[in-house]
Amino acid sequence: MIEFRNISKSFSGTQVVHDLNLTVEGGEFCVLIGSSGSGKSTILRMINRLIEHTSGEILFAGEGIRTFAPEVLRRRIGYAIQSVGLFPHWTVEANIATVPKLLGWDGARIDARITELLRLLNLDAARFRKAYPHQLSGGQQQRVGVARALAANPDVLLMDEPFGALDPITRDSLQAEMIRIHTETGKTIVFVTHDMDEALRLASRVVILEKGRIVQAASPRDLLNAPANDFVRAFLGKDDYGLKLLSVETVAERMRPSTEAMGQQAVLPQDNLRLALSRMVALKADRIAVRDADGTQVGVLFLADVVA
Amino acid sequence: MITNRPLFVLSCLMLFGAFAVPYLTHAPNRLISGQPFALRALLSQTALICLLPGVFLVLGPIFPQRPRVLLALIIAAVLALSGLVHIAATGADMLAQAAASPAARTSLGSGFWLMIVAAALALTDLTARAGFKPVARVLIGFGASLPIAAMILAGHLNELSIMKEYSNKADLFQTSLVRHFVIVLAALLPTLVVGIPLGVIAFRRASLGGPILSVLNIIQTVPSIALFGLLMAPLSALAVAVPGLKAIGISGIGLAPAVIALTLYSILPIVRNTAEGLAQVPRGVIEAATGMGMTPRQVFWQVEAPLALPVFLSGLRVTVVQAIGLAAVAALIGAGGLGAIMFQGLFSNALDLVLLGALPIIAIAVVADALFKLIVDVSRKGAA
Repeated sequence: MIEFRNISKSFSGTQVVHDLNLTVEGGEFCVLIGSSGSGKSTILRMINRLIEHTSGEILFAGEGIRTFAPEVLRRRIGYAIQSVGLFPHWTVEANIATVPKLLGWDGARIDARITELLRLLNLDAARFRKAYPHQLSGGQQQRVGVARALAANPDVLLMDEPFGALDPITRDSLQAEMIRIHTETGKTIVFVTHDMDEALRLASRVVILEKGRIVQAASPRDLLNAPANDFVRAFLGKDDYGLKLLSVETVAERMRPSTEAMGQQAVLPQDNLRLALSRMVALKADRIAVRDADGTQVGVLFLADVVA
Repeated sequence: MITNRPLFVLSCLMLFGAFAVPYLTHAPNRLISGQPFALRALLSQTALICLLPGVFLVLGPIFPQRPRVLLALIIAAVLALSGLVHIAATGADMLAQAAASPAARTSLGSGFWLMIVAAALALTDLTARAGFKPVARVLIGFGASLPIAAMILAGHLNELSIMKEYSNKADLFQTSLVRHFVIVLAALLPTLVVGIPLGVIAFRRASLGGPILSVLNIIQTVPSIALFGLLMAPLSALAVAVPGLKAIGISGIGLAPAVIALTLYSILPIVRNTAEGLAQVPRGVIEAATGMGMTPRQVFWQVEAPLALPVFLSGLRVTVVQAIGLAAVAALIGAGGLGAIMFQGLFSNALDLVLLGALPIIAIAVVADALFKLIVDVSRKGAA
């Protein structure tokens, strides 16, 4: 869907991106991660030409991005940023309608789309449609920001540290929303963050950057199991490395089929092992029931199998 | 004990005005300074009733400032304003009958001015305290001035010297009033046409913004009379050199230098607030707008301009109020306007004629200020 070919970028003589080659496949959730100055935001913004690359070629849907007028390209790519950037003088519905209006959709179609998006982002239409951004909490604003980015049904969604300014609880629930939205819509998402836990949780592929170069690009599991070098290892963290490992494996992979009678507390098969371990520690138990969404017990997870 | 300190200060002022200084002065003719008359000397029975709301208002600061008390005090202040004017009018009637000479003049004294200003300030303080919205506050102020306007129109104040000056100069007053508006509006148009683009440039190009603002700041420090004077020589030279100019009214004195000078003064607040208004639009909002595919023109008109509007309008408010005042000085170079009446009074030592020119200028400035505050308030809606 997006292809970087030998991309370099210099700002007044200083090279910030070096000969980058990266292909983001359709439907991928690609997370760019790195410390500040790694070039992650620059790379993201080169896709919608908020920043122009210095040399090389970027392809969008098979065509060079410079064959499009910048506005035309941007209207096909959803864009959400950390400071949200909602228009403070427009209502929530007007904000969401921005790109559809630019594309000249008719009123009824825009209206239907707003309703659909508010539902997708779990925002009560009756309460929020006519509200102004300053009447919303930070988390609600960011939900509107995501809805706005998705409004014209773009093929690709670019997100620049969208949850960076949110409190941990709100961030957690929005991350869950993003996973759900990604599964439901199948959009290609390019997401920039500096938070490794966020990257491991969301990504189908993590691209670790340092000083404008890719250090490693791999699925969260491959990354944890085979870090390319010490830099990646340091980035993955020392103290909670083990917990990160657990966070990319699901209960279903380690549980044993059993109908042994267990306590009330349970985990879902698709929950990650980190969560299961946390539950067991809290329960002071060495095993926990695994039940599916209907509450039917499908197995038991043993502590010994988690750490094995 | 004292529950409202600002109102307490105003109460003291009102008491001072009522007892310590003359409410009216009376003279056999307009050139002699008058004999003082204190408020108590003017109180007939009806006048006494008119004073009751004033008494309640003066006692205001010792009452608990509960919503109902505040509302009662607001009503008292509104009534007190009309009452004070009415007492002055009946007092003037009384003195006129006693004098029996048509040349005799009754002028408003410092006691009257102190009390009326204190009552007006009390009204603004009370409406703010009562939590009225800006629209409601402006309407209350407008409502309070209606009975006074009615008294003036009905001729109730005709025995006061200032109204006698008016009836002597009614034609001049009307043309001066119109001329005053013409000067202000004629300066406002070029101000906006030049100032807004300059403001946008000052914001877009920091390298130009600094010099533009310093030049305008320097102009602002030139005293207005000096600036009028400075424009006289080049403009008269220009009018002589280019034949057509004189025909369209450009010369060293009159409207042209006045409008040019006012424009020069007015441009600074417009440029500064246009640039500041644009500068305070959050970066993220502009980035989001661009990133979603708005063209630069759409970003400017749909995002930057509306978000800069409240700050721009506060600049326009300063400009308009400033221009209304400065236009008075323009009379010195023959531009006319209410300033002409003011200076005529000053040079002939007729204080009431000065007031006839000055009071309308103050009134227009206050009304313009209130209206612009309202507009700014409305324009902020949503963009909190």
